[in-house]
Amino acid sequence: MFAVETKALTKTYKDNTAVDSLSLAVEQGELFSLLGVNGAGKTTTVRMLCCLSKPSSGEAYVMGKNCESESAEVKSIIGISPQDTAVAPRLTVRENLMFMSRIYGFDKAGCKARTDELIEMFGMQKVADSRAKTLSGGWQRKLSIAMALIGEPKVLFLDEPTLGLDVLARRELWRAIEALKGRITVILTTHYMEEAEKLSDRIAIMIEGRIAAIGTLAEIEEQAGEKGLENAFVAIAERGLAK
Amino acid sequence: MKRAFAFASRNITELLRDPLGYIFCFGFPLIMLIIMTIVDQSIPKGSVTVFHIENLAPGVAVFGLMFVMLFTSLNVSTDRSGTFLMRLYATPMTAFDLTAGYIIPMLIIALIQCAVTFTAAFIISVIVGGTLNIGGILLCILTLLPSALLFIGFGLIFGVLFNEKTAPGTCSIIISLGSFLGGIWYDAESTGGVMLSICKCLPFYYCTRSARSSLSLDFTAEGFVIPLLIVLGCGAAVTALGSFAFSRKMRADLG
Repeated sequence: MFAVETKALTKTYKDNTAVDSLSLAVEQGELFSLLGVNGAGKTTTVRMLCCLSKPSSGEAYVMGKNCESESAEVKSIIGISPQDTAVAPRLTVRENLMFMSRIYGFDKAGCKARTDELIEMFGMQKVADSRAKTLSGGWQRKLSIAMALIGEPKVLFLDEPTLGLDVLARRELWRAIEALKGRITVILTTHYMEEAEKLSDRIAIMIEGRIAAIGTLAEIEEQAGEKGLENAFVAIAERGLAK
Repeated sequence: MKRAFAFASRNITELLRDPLGYIFCFGFPLIMLIIMTIVDQSIPKGSVTVFHIENLAPGVAVFGLMFVMLFTSLNVSTDRSGTFLMRLYATPMTAFDLTAGYIIPMLIIALIQCAVTFTAAFIISVIVGGTLNIGGILLCILTLLPSALLFIGFGLIFGVLFNEKTAPGTCSIIISLGSFLGGIWYDAESTGGVMLSICKCLPFYYCTRSARSSLSLDFTAEGFVIPLLIVLGCGAAVTALGSFAFSRKMRADLG
């Protein structure tokens, strides 16, 4: 069973096709990146996989569950860290995590244990009792990812997790994401080449709602006939846009 | 329901940490209570009775509930403007969990607000020689619950329909309209004619009427029972409409 599978997944908004017949399969435990420029359809794809948007046609599955007809089951096995940090600003780090753990049905002792575990996992001990709105962008992103992990998801969706972060905060977040590799399936959207190159097992390059290339870094370089992800991406993107 | 209580707990914690909440939900009604008592003490005795503490306290309590509406709309519209609600949409939370999670904390805040207002009113009553009694106060707080639900329902509707910049403005219109046509700052009964007919077409008048009657332990059909039933009906209808609007908006967001 694939962790994520889409079959001709399509999303149209009036005259605009945001995602066009997307078919892909992601193995369990894989860190899979959706790479593309703004408006390529990455976030729309993630929204459909997280049951936040209904496909216009086609099918999406998470751990074999249909995102449209079995959305409640899908929601109980996924976690999402949206593009914006999406934290409760006046709650502390600990309170944010406790709140999310209650949403996922943990009992009082379970909430505390899971919260402590995630605070330790992300090294947030020193900010644990600080209100979220007082944290730097990097800490807020870490909290956002920790909140996405609280329900012990089988698939984690990270939508542009390092957008707007400085280089140090970005590197620190990369380490946190790398630590998840192999333990759960991670679907990462980004338009940072370096990020996709550094973190991903496989990469899909999306151009105008379609997959223009998919595979490991080496496979993408081969498909593009260029060395380095950035060169390969530019070659594939220009080819895709020319069509 | 467990998830609704978790969300309610988040909402009440965030609201109680917002300084504006204290100013508008607790400070402003208290200031109005004090100012209007000073006005009452300054005008010739017997000419105007609406500012007597027995009439003023329930009126101010209704006025305070209108600010609970403002905060409900702000809470909902602010959550909607960011991605926090989107994160919750991707969890097993349902529309019912979310709407109940917005309504429950506002009801608690409304209760605390009424308790604070009437505590202050009781102290003022002792000072100025009013006739407030504890039984009437407790009954009045209970009578104000349907009114609280009515204003929370309005807040939910405005929070769904408008963004965090326009929702407060819309609520201000209801606050002005409600305090004027609700007979909070004047005796609507004494106006009569078209003015009284207009007041009686809107639920605000009945909020004030039922609250004043319960405080004075007047349980007549015209003074208490009918106004309370009207407020109960309107409160249930507006809250149901607010919940429906929220569910529809959620479905549209997930479309």
